[in-house]
This record gives sequence, structure tokens and C-alpha cells, in this order.
Amino acid sequence: MSGSPIKVVVGKPGLDGHDRGAKVVARTLVEAGMEVVYLGLRQTPESIVAAALEEDADVIGLSVLSGAHMTHFKRVRALMEEKGLGDRLLTGGGIIPTKDQETLAALGVGRLFGPGDDPDAIVDYIRDWVREHPREDAV
Amino acid sequence: MGTDNVRIDDLSNLSAGVAPALAEGLWTSFWAGDRRACARLISKVENEPNAIPAIREHLAGKLGHAIRIGVTGPPGVGTSTLCSAIALGLADRQHRVGVIAVDPSSPFTGGAFMGDRVRMDKFVGDDRIFMRSLASREGRGGLSPSTPSVADVIEAFGMDRILIETVGVGQAELDVMNTADLVVLVLQPITGDAIQSMKAGIIEAADLIVVNKSDLPGADTVLQSLRFVYSLGSAKSGKAPPLLAVSAQQTEGIEELVDTIEQLSTSIVQSGRHQELRQMRLVEEIKSGIVDELWQRYLRQSDAERVIEEAAKQLVASGGSAYKFVREMCSKIQLTVDPKANA
Ligand SMILES: Nc1nc2c(ncn2[C@@H]2O[C@H](COP(=O)(O)OP(=O)(O)OP(=O)(O)O)[C@@H](O)[C@H]2O)c(=O)[nH]1
Repeated sequence: MSGSPIKVVVGKPGLDGHDRGAKVVARTLVEAGMEVVYLGLRQTPESIVAAALEEDADVIGLSVLSGAHMTHFKRVRALMEEKGLGDRLLTGGGIIPTKDQETLAALGVGRLFGPGDDPDAIVDYIRDWVREHPREDAV
Repeated sequence: MGTDNVRIDDLSNLSAGVAPALAEGLWTSFWAGDRRACARLISKVENEPNAIPAIREHLAGKLGHAIRIGVTGPPGVGTSTLCSAIALGLADRQHRVGVIAVDPSSPFTGGAFMGDRVRMDKFVGDDRIFMRSLASREGRGGLSPSTPSVADVIEAFGMDRILIETVGVGQAELDVMNTADLVVLVLQPITGDAIQSMKAGIIEAADLIVVNKSDLPGADTVLQSLRFVYSLGSAKSGKAPPLLAVSAQQTEGIEELVDTIEQLSTSIVQSGRHQELRQMRLVEEIKSGIVDELWQRYLRQSDAERVIEEAAKQLVASGGSAYKFVREMCSKIQLTVDPKANA
């Protein structure tokens, strides 16, 4: 891998209680050489996007297990557009039915991963996406 | 090993101007207070070291007033929680606050896990505070080499108090002493006997010592051993720094802590110490800037890199002295200084 490390903000929106999944993913990304800003539990879409903005993250990763994925992903994506982060990747994981994934994809949300997916698949996906979407200098 | 004589006073190819130009729009947004532009500029500084000189030229004139406060201590003592409380306290005292949290990069993968925001979530979206996580990168467990420039960007953005949080007893603590105007050392009750094993230097260099988690038993013991250490005369100025017991979690003692930081800030400005520290850092910066510049010019006019490689190989075999080789190399460089320049 060349260039600077990919920077990812990982957070867990909503009130549901544990963040094991999000931490596992965060660790996997760190082991793959990425710089991961871990936000922890009980984030709001606003706090996640505000953090990603200050961190100049290339990627936002959400872990949503509560079933409220439609709300959270939609809201985060909308805020990203609003705050000028529309050129960054929004991805994440949870138990998300294919038809919901399709709806979200149409809104600009990237690939979403389920509990059965190989964590390395996330790494590859993020790397490929960032390579294919070089960031512009201009704000 | 013949390098022909080279002249590094040749001004035909100065490094200035080699740095990639930044989009004009980025600066316009930055000066207009766009946080996204500030974030982007910090990434530039982190990712493109050769863009730093040009960036700093833009920032010049906007720097020199912020107080940079290093907050450091052994892992787990609560520096993140404490920085969050200090940042809010300073913001409530009408300051605009930058927070730089430095976390170690893995030397094996280059990745970094940066968890400071978990404890710093009280001010997301607060316009008075700008927070940024930095991986230490090639700073190997110490501060990221770009940290001072990142602080410059944040200062020029309008922040007049900048907290630099580092965790770990070791290189990071020593680095922070060379970057910050004030050093706050954070300890906790159960690290009582860790005081003995702390890196020489940090105890002496601390301007303020905070014993966090004073809601737990044992804080008094730590305070006592600190008083003992200082009674032996191990302070920078011969005078023991203020010692405070606080609980970041229960926000106890935080007001007093922030007031103390304010007093120390005022006093280093009034005594001229702040300017003196700035001056010392500038001297170092200029020296290393000259070394870099001359080295780059030298490389552009010779194949020194290859010659050195070759020489090292021979020295390993022969057991010869590197310094003899250095003198030989240097004797082939003509360094002339315009006598008028030294007037
Ligand atoms: N009892 C008590 N616990 C505290 C206090 N301040 C922080 N902690 C706890 O100490 C732990 C470490 O806090 P952090 O703020 O993450 O500490 P840190 O020094 O930045 O730690 P690392 O970055 O994890 O090395 C957390 O579990 C905090 O909740 C305090 O005043 N009292």
C-alpha cells in the first residue's frame, strides 16, 4: 500500500448496549494499517458526522444492530451531504436485509456487511473504494 | 569513491517552490472559519511533509499567542477524560480551544487505534473547541513529527489554548516537553510507586501535577510521595510545581485545575517565558531547516546517497571509522558564506 494511511471513523449510533462488533471491525482495520478513530457507544448521527469532519476521515463506518439501520444510515448520509462530506464513503455492518441495502445504496450508502462476512472483505472493500475515489484538494 | 567537488551555495535550485501548491479555495475557506478546511489542512500537514514550508508561510503572522499545553501521563490515568474537562473549562472562560490527541501507530502495520473521542464526546459540535486525533506515525511511540505544525494550523484557525494529549511514560512525554509551553503531568492513586520509575526529566519538567481519580483511595499517598520528591529539589525552577488532586469523572477539583492552568498561562506570558520558549523552538526549527535545505541541495548535485551506501558497506567490512569518511566527504563540499550576510 502506498501513500498515507486511510482514516476511518467508527461509531455506533443509537441506544443499544454493546459495541463488541464495532470494536472487532475497528481492530481489523487497524491491523490492516488504517488509522481508526473509535467513537464508542450511543452516538448520534450528528456527533458521528461532526467527528468525521474534524478528523477529515475518508470513511465513516457504522455498526447498527438495533434494527434501526434505515433511520441511522439515511440520517448520517443526509448529514454527510449537508456538511460537505458527500465525497466520503459511508459503510458499516449489521443485520440488514438485501432489500434495505438496495434502498440505502440508492441513497449513496456503500456496501454493508453482515455477521457472516469475512472481516477482511471490509478491508478490501474500503481499500478499493478509497483508491477509486481520490480526494480533491479543494474544499 | 569519487564525488566531484560540489558547491551547495548554488542558488539556482532552491527547494522553495518545489512544494505542491494548495488550492486557493482551501485557504479562502480556512480563513473564513470553515472547520472542514481546517481539518483538510491538518491532513495536508500530516500527509505531505514537503507541503509544510509553504503552509507555514501562509500561517505566519497569525501565530505566537496561543498557549500550548501538553497533558501527559502513564496509560489509563484518565488523560482523555481530564482533557475533555479542561477543554470545556477553558471554553467556559472565553477561550477557543484546540485539542490534539496523539495515539501510537503500530510499527508493524502502520495502523492506529484512536479512542480518545470516547471520553471527549461532550463537545462534539461545540464551535468553541476543535478536536483532532493524530497517529504518531514515524514518531514511533512519541509525538507525530507533524504535531507542532498541526498545532500551528489550529492556532491560525483561531484557537488560543491548545491541549496536546499524549499517553505513555516514555518518548511521548519527552517530546511533549519540546512542543508545549506548559506541561501537565497526570498521575493516579494506584501508580504511587510508579513515580520512582518515571522517565527522568518529566518530573522536573512538569509545570503542574494532577493526581486524577482522587475519588479512589490512595490519592493522599501519591501527593505525599510527590511532595517528598520535590523536597529533594527535583524541580526545573527549584520550586515544586502546583500539585492538585482531582476527579475528572466526578468533575471534582476541575474548576481549580482550570484556574491554575490559567494562572500559569498568564504568568509565562508576563514573565516573557512564553516568548522565550517560542524563540527556542524557532532556533531549533531554523537549524534543522538549514540542515534539510543544504542536504537536499547536496543530494541534487551529487550521488551522495549511493556513495554513502557504498562507504557503509566497506566500513562494515573494514571496521573503519565513519567520522574519517565524513571528514573526507565534507572536504569535497565548498560551503561559502557571503561575509555581508553575517553582518
Ligand atoms: N474513578 C475514576 N475513574 C476515572 C477518572 N477519570 C477517568 N477514569 C477512568 O479511567 C479510565 C481511563 O480513562 P481515560 O480518560 O480513557 O484515560 P487515558 O489515560 O486517556 O487512557 P488510555 O488512553 O486508555 O490509556 C476510564 O475507565 C475512565 O472512566 C476519575 O476521576 N475517577
